[in-house]
Amino acid sequence: MKKIALLVALIVIALAASACAGGSSYPSKPLEIVAPAGAGGGWDTLARTVQRSLETEKLYTQPTSVVNKVGGGGAVGLAYVFSKKADDYELVVYSPPLIINTLNKTFEQDYKQLTPLAKLITDYQVILVKADSPYKTLGDLIAALKKDPLSVKFAGASSPGSMDHLAIAKLAKKAGIDPNKLGYVAFNDVGSGLTALLGGNVGFMSTGVGEAIPQIEAKTVRALGVSSAERRGGVMKDVPTWKEAGVDVTYEVWRGIFGAPEMSGDAKKYWADTLKKMSASKTWKESLDKLQWVDAYADADAFSKFLAEEEKSYKELMTDTGFIK
Amino acid sequence: MNFFDNLAMGFGVALTPLNLFYAFVGVFLGTVIGVLPGIGPMTGIALLIPITFGLPPTSAIILMAGIYYGAMYGGSTTSILVNAPGESSSVVTCFDGFQMAKKGRAGPALAAAAIGSFIAGTFATLMLMLIGPWIAAFALNFGPPEYFALMFAGLTVVTSLAGRSLVKALLATTIGLAIATIGIDLQSGVPRYTFGNPEMLDGLEFLVVAIGLFAVSEVIVNLSDMRQAVQERLSIKGGLWLNAEDWRRAIPAFTRGTLSGFFVGGIAGAGAAVASFVSYGLEKKMSKYKDELGSGAIEGVAGPEAANNAAAGGAMIHLLCLGIPGSGTTAIMLGALLMLGLQPGPLLFQQNPQFVWGLIASMYVGNVMLLVLNLPLVGMWVKILDIPLYLLIVFIILFSFLGVYTMNNSVQDLWLMVVFGVIGYLLRRFDIPASPIILGMVLGDLMEQAMRQSLMISDGNLGIFVTRPISLTLLLIAVVSITNPYWKHIGRGLRKLLGAA
Repeated sequence: MKKIALLVALIVIALAASACAGGSSYPSKPLEIVAPAGAGGGWDTLARTVQRSLETEKLYTQPTSVVNKVGGGGAVGLAYVFSKKADDYELVVYSPPLIINTLNKTFEQDYKQLTPLAKLITDYQVILVKADSPYKTLGDLIAALKKDPLSVKFAGASSPGSMDHLAIAKLAKKAGIDPNKLGYVAFNDVGSGLTALLGGNVGFMSTGVGEAIPQIEAKTVRALGVSSAERRGGVMKDVPTWKEAGVDVTYEVWRGIFGAPEMSGDAKKYWADTLKKMSASKTWKESLDKLQWVDAYADADAFSKFLAEEEKSYKELMTDTGFIK
Repeated sequence: MNFFDNLAMGFGVALTPLNLFYAFVGVFLGTVIGVLPGIGPMTGIALLIPITFGLPPTSAIILMAGIYYGAMYGGSTTSILVNAPGESSSVVTCFDGFQMAKKGRAGPALAAAAIGSFIAGTFATLMLMLIGPWIAAFALNFGPPEYFALMFAGLTVVTSLAGRSLVKALLATTIGLAIATIGIDLQSGVPRYTFGNPEMLDGLEFLVVAIGLFAVSEVIVNLSDMRQAVQERLSIKGGLWLNAEDWRRAIPAFTRGTLSGFFVGGIAGAGAAVASFVSYGLEKKMSKYKDELGSGAIEGVAGPEAANNAAAGGAMIHLLCLGIPGSGTTAIMLGALLMLGLQPGPLLFQQNPQFVWGLIASMYVGNVMLLVLNLPLVGMWVKILDIPLYLLIVFIILFSFLGVYTMNNSVQDLWLMVVFGVIGYLLRRFDIPASPIILGMVLGDLMEQAMRQSLMISDGNLGIFVTRPISLTLLLIAVVSITNPYWKHIGRGLRKLLGAA
């Protein structure tokens, strides 16, 4: 008898609790953030930093977790998130490969069905040469490439038609060099690309600023130009932008966060507020400093517009270079 | 003088109770991570990074380095006990390690793995300390052509894995090379043999194939003869420790494994898995007991286990002296160091001597800890074998499924593992060795990419492979090692021809 009473009491409490939560509805369940790559990479680090900031700043009161869906440059993660249609408790982080791999049809789904929530951070592309390279400025390098694009090979850490390659293709096109004729050598990771650069096997390297800073600081390499609109600070303060070097082009490696397709209006509103709060929070700002990431917060509307522009720009670039047929 | 001051300072840092504690936690976690198949040191360290935020940088790296080489120690355990490699670098250890266990000699096998790891780990640390920057500078000579030549030379190891028939081994190698082409091709961005399946875009995971071919097929073999399995148990015969004969045979293998592993993995940066294969090939060529390899020779454990640790130590040299990670795990450590506000690279020794020398000293300490931790564990591990085989099979299945699933949280990987288990069973029936498949997979991808990178650099000129001294030397080594069994015949044939003329 006692037991039944206890059970009834528990049920009543549980119902009351869920009714309370139901009042303001969202969020009432644990959150899952998908990192569409393995532990330790850029996407994973971003997903975990978001999770930690949400938890530490008590912005999300239900439990949160990060799940790694590894494979295919994000394809496995995307398929997973698409299988969770209309699930308001499923977030995922992505960067330009989301658009690139949709355009070149590596992804079967159309990323535009995801719910863009916010652009969070950004990195820029930098051109590195070995410290004793004959190319002292970006102008020198462009002049050499103009004479014969294949005379200076360059390394990057992803397949042709991906970011490291397309950034240079964009620059080359604007500088009047046929982006189709560049000598791009693809490496598995930044480390092997750097080894090839320092060993004199390639003439220059295209990589993200974040990855290049240790080598720039050690002066084993020289940074000829960075793809941001304005000069960066710190170690990068003496590195001219591509625009300063005479080619009016920028290239941005953004990272943002999305909800599953068909996210409800309530959830969208909740995340608009919460992500804005998070991006201004102390935990988030401290993490950015530690990771040397650049804050690039933009709300859902601005992010959507930005994505549309990005898609247009990539479409053009990838058609020029033959990666969209 | 300066050097001894530095080292003394390093031990001052490493021997503080706090850092000793972190070194112990690191090597302990590393051992556990190594034993569990699936969770590798890379994942282990990545998941720990948030915890290291609050630690002083030196303690954080001591913890991470401990996990890294701890995993190299632990990885051999399941290879030897249940034929399921814990890490990719321990696949080779299965070949002779599990055979030793079947003969009741799991104890000496585990002990030899731990001692080999200790010797190689200590050697690599010594090299880092004495000539680290010099090695790092030399490592830059390894560009794509040298990689290709190194992998090509590595392929000649197949003759050592051949068993009775070289043709069958070559067939298996080709299957491995073919499997290696699955996935997005790095040089063109085009998916190959993926059948529109997103999980295939990254190719097949090499541990999934290895665990399928070795562990799952072992289960099927045992199940196909259940009557025997019910009675049999792999109980321990002889001591748990190396006897005089073991020592005599293991010491040359330790030496060869350490040196070759340090060269292949440490200097050339080809990774611990390749290093362990090369070491196995070297044993097959140079050991006095080469005919016993494959059927439970201690050299087959001692050499590769030393090699994979020497390679791991070498990767630390790349990380600390060049700021360039030489392996997936050190890449994650680089990221963590940057977060801690340290810049690895040529300047690290000058800017943060406390950190570098503290780490070096802690690596010595950690290696001793691992030895002390692992040797008593041998007694515990071998007890696992003291259960009837039909129960042991359950363990093998458990380890295999758990390990493969935790790698990528992928159910498809489990199916693949089972498929490769069946393939492994069929291969055994047809007496085709499975290990060359793994060799082909390990080398195939790297070799293909390096070749195409080289040709991209040389505008398609094949001369790039023979005009560079290191590449040429490695190719010549490959040619010599393939042809040397036939020299006698060729010489005799030539003399006959000349005599007849």
